[in-house]
Amino acid sequence: MLSRLAESYFWIGRYLERAEATSRLLAEHHQLMVEERTVPEELAAAVLLDALSLPPSAATSAADLVTSVVGNASDPATISGSITMARENARAVRESLSADVFEALNAAHLAGIRGPIVATSPAYALYRVVERLAVVVGQIDWTVPRDLGYLFLSFGRSLERLDMMSRVLAVRHDQLWPEGGPVATLRAAAGLNAFLRTQHPMTGDEARRFLLLDEDHPRSMRVCAANAEDAVRGLAARGASDGGDLLREVGLLRSQLEYAVDPAPDEVDLLAELVQQSTARASDLVAAAFFRPSGTIVWSN
Amino acid sequence: MDGEQADAQAVGALKTVLDGLGEEGLAERGRLVDAYFNRQGITFNLAGRERPLPLDLVPRLLSAAEWRVIEQGVAQRIKALEMFLADIYGPGLVLEDGVVPRRLVTSSAHFHREAWGIEPPNGVRIHVAGIDLIRDEEGVFAVLEDNLRCPSGVSYVLENRRALAHVLPELFTDQLVQPVAEYPERLLDALLAAAPAGVADPQVAVLTPGVHNSAHFEHAFLARRMGVELVEGRDLYCRDDQVWMRTVRGPAPVHVLYRRIDDDYLDPVHFRPESVLGVPGLLSAARAGRVTVANAVGNGVADDKAVYPYVPDLIEYYLGEQAILPNIDTYDLQDADQRRFVLERLDRMVLKPVDGSGGYGLVVGDQATDAQLDQLARRVEADPRSWIAQRIVRLSTCPTVVDGGELAARHVDLRPFAVNDGDNVFVLPGGLTRVALPEGSLVVNSSQGGGSKDTWVVAEPDESPPYRPPDRPTPRLTRVLAAVPARIHSPAGHDERMRQQENQQQQAGGECPC
Repeated sequence: MLSRLAESYFWIGRYLERAEATSRLLAEHHQLMVEERTVPEELAAAVLLDALSLPPSAATSAADLVTSVVGNASDPATISGSITMARENARAVRESLSADVFEALNAAHLAGIRGPIVATSPAYALYRVVERLAVVVGQIDWTVPRDLGYLFLSFGRSLERLDMMSRVLAVRHDQLWPEGGPVATLRAAAGLNAFLRTQHPMTGDEARRFLLLDEDHPRSMRVCAANAEDAVRGLAARGASDGGDLLREVGLLRSQLEYAVDPAPDEVDLLAELVQQSTARASDLVAAAFFRPSGTIVWSN
Repeated sequence: MDGEQADAQAVGALKTVLDGLGEEGLAERGRLVDAYFNRQGITFNLAGRERPLPLDLVPRLLSAAEWRVIEQGVAQRIKALEMFLADIYGPGLVLEDGVVPRRLVTSSAHFHREAWGIEPPNGVRIHVAGIDLIRDEEGVFAVLEDNLRCPSGVSYVLENRRALAHVLPELFTDQLVQPVAEYPERLLDALLAAAPAGVADPQVAVLTPGVHNSAHFEHAFLARRMGVELVEGRDLYCRDDQVWMRTVRGPAPVHVLYRRIDDDYLDPVHFRPESVLGVPGLLSAARAGRVTVANAVGNGVADDKAVYPYVPDLIEYYLGEQAILPNIDTYDLQDADQRRFVLERLDRMVLKPVDGSGGYGLVVGDQATDAQLDQLARRVEADPRSWIAQRIVRLSTCPTVVDGGELAARHVDLRPFAVNDGDNVFVLPGGLTRVALPEGSLVVNSSQGGGSKDTWVVAEPDESPPYRPPDRPTPRLTRVLAAVPARIHSPAGHDERMRQQENQQQQAGGECPC
């Protein structure tokens, strides 16, 4: 498989997850800002922008925040930008990607996030985004052969999920809104029902621990790390190995999460930070090993 | 708002937003909210058809001061009714003392001798209550009826709030609305508190009649939001006075059953033998103290419409207090004088069947034909125990969106929900406001074409302490490779040289966003 294709598959996975997770997070954050007006809007907006590594802006209201995070096609940290980037990467591998996946992704891109609905009912607009992305992911599930490309895509998805989950936790809804915060954090991670069925009581600390370490929820960091490790093992089994550094990085992360015993709240924060750092290293490692293979000529003027 | 006293500032802010939307804007949001409920399947069954409970877009406002009265009044009423139930299913002092006529209690269809002597573990029989209130002509909240068996509608309180914030976020601007989302947690805590003594990790389940029940959405909603199992009768069995669920890992014990099935169907051993919805032996298990049935069996005697007139006396008898929330003037038709008084002015009365609910069988005197009233009079003469009469109360009205996005006055009532954990009666701020959508109608039941409103208890600005930002650790987040392959924004047909430059750019930084 061409390195260029591998890189695009990887980024399709990342941008799909980024767009979806950001949409959910924004919808819940916005809902809290609307329903529980105890936190000044400027502060609540700034916190989310910060967690998403978006530049602090003049967002002073819930509506401004939606505009900023929905963003535009040219900023890959925003929802519109992520969808555009996923689609552009899909375009670059169009010859090898299933037509169904491209079509679904293209449709999501063309539909955009626009119209008066974004202002009148952001929650509705964001729900439609998630719905369209679900079609893309469904087509991937149904039509993409489980080859190297798929493994790079899966690895990208797992890494981005880890990254987005650490951002969800970084918002600290529970500190901003002691009443509705924990529920919003769980909803942003699509984990409210999963949490309620297994955990009690509902507190911010319990919610965070759950999203870090749960064994079954597909977005818990522990499950994402295990998925990332599986993808790397799959790559190695098909002859795409970097000699073990990447496997070591994700394997170490997975085992640290898997064998963490009932961490205290501050240890949860430390683990979440570890996830951030490890994800960044893994992303660098995969790029260095597979996307810029030896033989690339580098020169300077 | 006719008869409503919510504080002027909140009303003003609301009005500004609604005026700004205009009729067309309101109609548009109305379509959105219907779509939201349909998509989420938040529906009830009406005559075999699944449909959403219409949500009106204009919230109903209650000031903090008004709410305090309701909150205290509802809690007081539930405490007294708890004591009443404990009394009649125990020593029966209230009957000895003649506060309530014995014939009323013993003739109630919901007085179950089978429940006599069952001691609930923490003394609670009314785990959940919905007290129907109306605001009368004087602007005073009064109790219309008590619902102490399976009051439904609380899921709409939570979903209405979420839906309204979804489709009309700007309404919430400058409003401090007390949140309602904590209800499922409060309910779970109360159910856990009611668990049989000595059970280390009590298991709670919600018992539903099944998917064809009109309130099935609510049953599923509560089970989901409490994180407990939603069971049907066929999922349960009793052995040796213990209730078990059938699971793939074998039997699992159930310690608290929040049942949404009527008493009659609950246990075919004691009640209707043909019931397939219930669990044979459940009542024996409850009597043995191995399972808590919530709400308790036999509560219906306390919300019997014929017992209702005596509730203010019960409050005084048990608590030594005056009722905070008054009753509506109600006539006991078994009393010959009162019956004659009522029959002489049937056209100015509301007559309700004592066993009815959902507005079925109810007759509003000034809206009935003479023939209907004649027939009614004969039925009352024949069986006075089955009816009560109340004077017609002009329910208060709230502005409501009617066809085409216009605002018009429609009659409303209010059902606050209360949860009793044995130490405390928690009243969910707000409650379900039901609105009679047809013009002039006084019947708000969803089964009779009623809708609902989101109900806001608006905190006074000086009540909420100024917000202090919490001590947040600054997260160290870096957008990991927010990069894109640089080629993607190159013009079509780019040459090889350009590609190489792009490659170089990638080597150098790899973080170029475009």
